[in-house]
Amino acid sequence: MRPIVSLEDVSLRYHSISGETPAVSHLNLTVQSGEFISIVGPSGCGKSTILSMLAGLLPPSEGNIEVNGNIGYMLQKDYLLHWRSIRSNALLGLEIQKKLTPENMAYVDSLLEQYGLGDFKESFPWQLSGGMRQRVALIRTLAIRPDILLLDEPFSALDYQTRLSVSDEIGTIIRKEGKTAILVTHDISEAISLSDRVIVLTKRPARLKTIFPIQLSVEERTPMKAREAPEFKDYFNAIWKELDVHVS
Amino acid sequence: MFRKNDLKAVSKEQAAFLSRIQKRRTAVLALQVFLLAAFFFLWEIAAIRGWVDPFLFSQPTELFQTAVKMIGDGSLFLHIGTTLWETVAGFLLGTILGTLTAILLWWNRFISDVAEPYLVVLNSLPKTALAPIIIVWFGNNQSSIILVALLTSVVVTILSVLNGFLQVDEERIKLIQIFGGTKRQVLTKVVLPANIPCILNALKINVGLSFVGVIVGEFLVAQDGLGFLIVYSSQTFAMRVVLLSVVILAILSALMYGAISLLEKKFTKWQS
Repeated sequence: MRPIVSLEDVSLRYHSISGETPAVSHLNLTVQSGEFISIVGPSGCGKSTILSMLAGLLPPSEGNIEVNGNIGYMLQKDYLLHWRSIRSNALLGLEIQKKLTPENMAYVDSLLEQYGLGDFKESFPWQLSGGMRQRVALIRTLAIRPDILLLDEPFSALDYQTRLSVSDEIGTIIRKEGKTAILVTHDISEAISLSDRVIVLTKRPARLKTIFPIQLSVEERTPMKAREAPEFKDYFNAIWKELDVHVS
Repeated sequence: MFRKNDLKAVSKEQAAFLSRIQKRRTAVLALQVFLLAAFFFLWEIAAIRGWVDPFLFSQPTELFQTAVKMIGDGSLFLHIGTTLWETVAGFLLGTILGTLTAILLWWNRFISDVAEPYLVVLNSLPKTALAPIIIVWFGNNQSSIILVALLTSVVVTILSVLNGFLQVDEERIKLIQIFGGTKRQVLTKVVLPANIPCILNALKINVGLSFVGVIVGEFLVAQDGLGFLIVYSSQTFAMRVVLLSVVILAILSALMYGAISLLEKKFTKWQS
C-alpha cells in the first residue's frame, strides 16, 4: 500500500547571522493511512521542524517529502482568536480556504454539538475552560476534513488532569474519525497511550533512532485504557532508555 | 449549624466589601464634582471681591453671559463648528493614514527598515514647528490647518500601530498559514482585528494632538475657529472670550474622548 506520508532522506538547516544550525538530518519515515504515530525526542531536537516541513511551511534543505492528502495542523496552544465567537473560531480554516458552504458549516455545527460545545457556539474563548478550548481547536482542524492530522504537543499548555482527559478525548475522536495522525510530544506515556508506533529521535540534529510498534493487550484501545495495559510500563522503560536523557 | 454560620459570615463580609467599594466610588465622584464647582465658585468670589483683576481674569458669570450672547448672534457655534470639523478631520485622517502606512511597513519589512530612522526623528520633532511652513506652502486656508493637525498625529500613529502589528504572536500567524492562508489573510484575519484596541488607543491620543495642531494653525491663519477667537480676543483684551474658548475646548476634548471610549467598548465587547 502506498504510504500517506513519506520522508526520504530529509535534512533541514536553519540559517542565521551567527551561523548554520542543522535541525534535521537524513530522516526517513513512512506513515500508513489510518496510523497514529508519535515522535518523541530530547527537547529542542527538531521535532516541531518536522511537522512544519510536512505542513509545507518550511521547504527541506535536502530530500523528498511526499504527502498524499489534506493536512490539518494542531498547534501547542489553542490560539483561539479572542474577538471571535466559538463557532466563528471553528469556522476559521474553512473561511481562509473559502469553503464556507452550507454543508461544511453544518458539519462544524454537528462536530460542536457532538463534542459538547453546542451550548457555547456564541460564547467567546475566555468563557471556556482550557480543555474545551483545545476541543474547539481540534474541531477547527477537523472542519477542513484533513486526511492527516499533525499534532504539535497539543496538550502541553494544559494542567496535568485536564491534559489526561483531553488527550483521551482527542485521541478517541481522532480514531473515531479514522484520521492518520502524527503527534509530536515529549511525554512518553502520552505517546504510548495514543500511538500505533512511537518514533524516537536523536538529539539535534534529529535523526531516526528507534521505532517502537506499540501492541497493548486491552480490549478497547482508548488512551485511558491503554495506560492500564500490562505492557505499558515496559514500553515506557524501553523508550526512556532509548531517549538517553542525562540530567547532570 | 457551623456551615450556615460560616456562609452567613462570608456573605456579610462580601456585602461589607461591596459597600466599601461603592462608598469609595461615590466619594471619588463627589470630590471630583466638588473640586470643579469650588474652582468656579472661588473664581467668581475672587473677581467680585477684587482679589484678582476682573478685567484680566474675567469671571464665570461673565463667561456665561458671553456664551449666551454669542450663541444668540450665532458666532459661537460657527467657531466651535470650524474647530471641531478641522480637529475631527485631522485626527481621522491622521489615524487612517497612519494605520495605512503602518500596514505598508508591516507588509514590506525592507521599506520599514529604511524608514525607521526617519520616523524616529520625525516623531521627536515638534510638528507645530512645521505649521508656518505648511501655511506658506499650501496657502492661507482651512486645508493647511487640517494638514497641520494631521501631521501632529500621523507619525506617532504609524509607530504605535506598527509596534502593535509586530507584537502579534508568531504562532497566530502560523495558524493562518497552516490553513494555506495568504499574507493578506494574515493581515485581515489576525493582525488587524488583534490591533483594533491599539488603533482605537491611537485615535484617543490623536484627539488631543489634533487639537494642538488645529489651534496652532488657527493662531496663524484662520478667520474663524476657537484658536482664531483666542488670538483675536487676547489682542483686544477680551479675556472673557479667551477664557470661554478655553473652557469650550476643555468640554469638546472631554466629549470626544468620551465618544471614542464608547466606540472602544463597542468594538471590544468580546472582552470580559
